[in-house]
Amino acid sequence: MDRRHLLTTGAALGAASTLALPTRLLAAGAPLKVGVLLPRSGVQAGIGQDCQRGVDIAAPILKSLGLPDLEIMNGDTESKVEIARSTAEKLIGAGAQLLIGAFDSGQTTAIAQVAEQKGVPLVINIAAAPQITEQGYKFVFRNFPTAGTILSNAFEQQKAVFAQVGHAPKSVVFMHVNDTFGTAMAGGIGKVMPKFDMPYKIVETIAYDPAARDLSVEIAKAKATGAEALLCVSRLNDAILLTREMIKQRWTPQAVLSMGPGWYEDQYLKTLGKYSDGPLTFSPWYDPKKKLSQTLVAALAKKHPNVNLNTNHVFTFEALLIAADAYKRAGSADPKALAEAIRKTNITDNSSMGPGIMFNAKGQNDKVVDGTVQNVGGKQVVVQPEASATAKAIWPLPAYDKRG
Amino acid sequence: MMSRIIESASPRALALLAIVTAVLIAAPSFVNNYVLSVLIIVLYFAYVGQAWNLMLGFAGQLSLGHALFVSLGAYTSAALFIKFGVSPVVGVFAAIAVAVVAGCLIGYLGFRFSIRGVYFALLTIAFAEFTGIIVDHISWLGASSGLFLPVKNLQSNDIVNLRGSPTMFYYVILTLTGLALALCSWLLNSKLGLYWQAIREDQEAAEASGVPLFRYKMIAVAISSGLTGVGGVWYAFYYNNLFPETMFKTSQSVEIILGSVVGGVGSLFGPVLGAFVLTPLGEALTAATEGMHVDGVKSFFWGLCVAAIVLFRPQGLWPWLYDLLGLGPKREGKKP
Repeated sequence: MDRRHLLTTGAALGAASTLALPTRLLAAGAPLKVGVLLPRSGVQAGIGQDCQRGVDIAAPILKSLGLPDLEIMNGDTESKVEIARSTAEKLIGAGAQLLIGAFDSGQTTAIAQVAEQKGVPLVINIAAAPQITEQGYKFVFRNFPTAGTILSNAFEQQKAVFAQVGHAPKSVVFMHVNDTFGTAMAGGIGKVMPKFDMPYKIVETIAYDPAARDLSVEIAKAKATGAEALLCVSRLNDAILLTREMIKQRWTPQAVLSMGPGWYEDQYLKTLGKYSDGPLTFSPWYDPKKKLSQTLVAALAKKHPNVNLNTNHVFTFEALLIAADAYKRAGSADPKALAEAIRKTNITDNSSMGPGIMFNAKGQNDKVVDGTVQNVGGKQVVVQPEASATAKAIWPLPAYDKRG
Repeated sequence: MMSRIIESASPRALALLAIVTAVLIAAPSFVNNYVLSVLIIVLYFAYVGQAWNLMLGFAGQLSLGHALFVSLGAYTSAALFIKFGVSPVVGVFAAIAVAVVAGCLIGYLGFRFSIRGVYFALLTIAFAEFTGIIVDHISWLGASSGLFLPVKNLQSNDIVNLRGSPTMFYYVILTLTGLALALCSWLLNSKLGLYWQAIREDQEAAEASGVPLFRYKMIAVAISSGLTGVGGVWYAFYYNNLFPETMFKTSQSVEIILGSVVGGVGSLFGPVLGAFVLTPLGEALTAATEGMHVDGVKSFFWGLCVAAIVLFRPQGLWPWLYDLLGLGPKREGKKP
């Protein structure tokens, strides 16, 4: 190599590094642009808006953890697959360097395709369809249990609760809402339950319409079975209706074992007051003993005083935590570097239950587990797993007609 | 027939059609990915809206259950692809067959027993809803957990298996929309189309004139459901996931028909225009209301806009635009 060649090469390398400088500077100082896709209008608006609360409280907490700033770019999927896909394109076009979302499996699948095609990392906050992380995607990560894991965990947790209280029901009546979710859960329970050698038998299954305004007949049937406990998959409205009817018909089973939403939700607690206490819910939840959970509880209480911290807030917040943590470690907003950093995530001081946030080769956090939550005094209290529990489960369910 | 149609169109109309077609063909080369994804949605609704319009706009049979045909087409082709590796190019024929059989079954029940108007519409809704419930329980089709097509990030487009880039899907749906438009144009001016219009205007008079109502109404349902089923095939392979909870719902059917209602029911270009107005309107309102930070406010204004269009242009936008641009003899005020 002669001197001229050396000088030319040196000049070229110098120019190249100067051109690269703004990108590195951007990564070092500029906030990471995060597109948050949630169904904030349409049929899933309530849940999407609830997830958004997890975004609202994130900035100061991430800062206190020494993580870099995030620039949030909100996108409303309107609860539609088509809009979810085009909004993902829009956010990426507007400069989003990482996507988060989108609560619903269908919408998330549509977003995942865009993320993968564009090579922009997607961190899924909530979506349980196992297929999403079975497609061989390189840029898609999920910090939420799959439907199968949720169900399996629920049965394990039930047995742990029975062991904790020293009593297990011998029979249950299974009531489920007859919509897609309820039907899917009912089918899943039928398949998964035999693997867990549960101490109880399902003596009768009662399905009801999600739009039912009166569930008196269903509760009368359930009561007549003589089952010791009620196993249910509900939504919010029917959970309230079922409880009211149980009070009216003076039926207090030993336990209400809920494997879905409804029974722990804020609206359930507010609507039913002292009658809301007692049901046990098996669901992905936060670990109240973890420091970050306590920070989240305080931050949410400050921003939304009447809202209790729940799954939607926690997992949406954690998606942002994953993004900020990866950005810090990657030291760059380059999508490939970000994806690689996310793949190597190892956050143990997180909020959700389980050992922490870490992804397997498929981009799935297979360590995240369910918790058992019981309503006590108008609050959701964790009673299982033991390591996360702040109280022992109250068993049996306090009689509805003796609650003062 | 096509040459007669072209001859009957005004030079201005033909020029406009040529410009729009050229712009749409060239669009992927100058629009960004977001605009392309919006255009894809527009063309999808233009296509299925055209298929629906054939049934109500041409033949006067109101269907509020067209989501059924989209879903049957989607599920049939997706299941054949996933379970047996059947290419959608072949699967589309099975999808058409299934959609046509379902359409004919509804049509037979409706027309054989003289179920008309809103009662026929209720019949179509009922079929869509209960088929959704059935699919909800068929584990082979993914049941309520959804049917997912395997996704591959290919470097090149595989048109035979409909696996590829958004641009490929854009050209597929553009082609389908163009073909549907040509087919509907031909049908509208054929003897069949004239019989349909006679049925639409006055069923009793048409029957008295010797038009075999049952046969021609059945043909309308068959063609409409078959075309819609093809739209379902495209939908399945573009979005790669199907959930009965959303696919078969009446809200899907309403989305299909809204473009035609806004554009002009019964007119050839109404469904296309309606789709080109409604989807971009939604996107524009999203952009305009983003700063307000009020969830759902966009839907509120979108609803107001649609209500205003229906109120001030009850025949749809196409007759008005047609007159405004001087594309032919005055049409507004006449039956579309």
